[in-house]
Amino acid sequence: MSELLTLQRDVIAALRDAGADARAARWLAGDPAHLERRLAIYRANMLASAEKALSAAYPVSRQVVGDDFFRGLARAFQRETPSTSGDLGDYGIGFPDFLAAFAHTQSLPYLADLARLEWAAHRAYGAADAPDWVPSALAAVDPEDQAAIRFAWSAGTAVVDSPFPIVRLWTIHQPGYTGEFDVDWRAGECALVARDGFAVRVSALARGDAAFLRAALAGAALGDAASAALELAPDFDLGALLARAVATRLVCGFTVEPT
Amino acid sequence: MTFTTLPARAVGIGLRQPHYRELFERTPALGFVEVHSENFFLDGGASMHALERARAAWPVSLHGVGLSLGSADELARQHLAKLQRLVERIEPTLVSEHLCWTGIDGVHVNDLLPLPPTHAALALLAERVDHVQSVLRRPILIENLSAYVAFHDAEMTETAFLAELARRTGCGLLLDINNLWVNAVNFGFDPSARLAELRGESIAQIHLAGHAAVDACLIDTHGALVSTDVWTLFEEACRRFGPRPTLIEWDTDLPALDVLLSEAARAATIADRAHADV
Repeated sequence: MSELLTLQRDVIAALRDAGADARAARWLAGDPAHLERRLAIYRANMLASAEKALSAAYPVSRQVVGDDFFRGLARAFQRETPSTSGDLGDYGIGFPDFLAAFAHTQSLPYLADLARLEWAAHRAYGAADAPDWVPSALAAVDPEDQAAIRFAWSAGTAVVDSPFPIVRLWTIHQPGYTGEFDVDWRAGECALVARDGFAVRVSALARGDAAFLRAALAGAALGDAASAALELAPDFDLGALLARAVATRLVCGFTVEPT
Repeated sequence: MTFTTLPARAVGIGLRQPHYRELFERTPALGFVEVHSENFFLDGGASMHALERARAAWPVSLHGVGLSLGSADELARQHLAKLQRLVERIEPTLVSEHLCWTGIDGVHVNDLLPLPPTHAALALLAERVDHVQSVLRRPILIENLSAYVAFHDAEMTETAFLAELARRTGCGLLLDINNLWVNAVNFGFDPSARLAELRGESIAQIHLAGHAAVDACLIDTHGALVSTDVWTLFEEACRRFGPRPTLIEWDTDLPALDVLLSEAARAATIADRAHADV
């Protein structure tokens, strides 16, 4: 093993665990009395980077728990799940699961689902711009083949289900929100996260619409996705949903593969 | 070697989200703007759109903070592929990275960690820089680092390391005057002697930034005005090497745009003065 590799493993071990300072110290020059403080600068930078990345991806969760508590969450999450990428935009995919399991967030049972919604929004923000397409081509599909239509969804589109009112919570924490702040805590919501131009939109889906979109986003053909939706919600209105999906450019293309 | 189409006296500022609106409205006469490459490792969306708007108004310099050229295990190929995609999309005037490593064995601290200036590290860096330059099909610039720890098995100075890296790979150097000053104070060396180790033709860009002093240690915060000492050292570098495209870096506690523009104007004035005296 190269000496540089050993050195780097020792330095990372020391930065991740203050108890392991000695592993780094054997490589470092200068007054050992200062070393602890010097390593502390790097540790602080490491935590600040993690906190900044998590704050960017989870701004609503941060508002809900407050800045100080969020800093503590970032620290605990970082200890458990270090960054694995030089691109901090990738950091924090596991944060919702961490929140679901962390002892000190059990009093906020909705927080993990809210964070899932935020991660979907974070991903949608940088997703590819929707290509232009001509929806009129849909009308040309042979009625017998319509059940075999598979839609292409705008990049970043996601459905996040929760027994908690996550869309409402997300909405009232948006910058510039001026409406009422009442929340019906018993009303579970299914969130649609999607790009609309450069904006990321979050809206609540009816049960049938959610079932359809979940199936279709997973690759199901129109017929199968509609059946799944009707099973859950007999009042599911496929025509209305598709009209809305086309108008908001949620759908940006389709293929037909008759069986 | 030509590293950039920027004029030697070009002065730029960092392009940061809180300034987007004002920058696009005023479109000040900047020589270039610089962004952190990783902030634009995206497929599309508002940030990419803003960068493309900026690219239409000014030359753009891509400054990387996450490639971790000095990691002893392996180069992050996926990270490099994302950088390559961004370079092809933006056609930047400069592409730079740091003389550093940010992680090992797949764990990143997302902070710039110093390398021991040894012959082994130099061989590793030369191989990595060669590879990156062949993938990107252009020379890159490597920046000297601010550091808070030093290694006892150092075999040369950081500047001698960089001069040799430039000689071996044909890469350019991004001379960060603040980093050099921070290290001169933190480790007690003469920064002028370090400048003398560099060859002017390798230096393709200069960075200026502010720092903070904590417990007799300077910390490179990029969150303050450029200090008097750093301006003085900048002037010395301008006299020694001639003017170079110069960037005002400011990343934390971002001030009003006018503060950055006034720092940029000061850099231009000092570079002019130094050049006129030569």
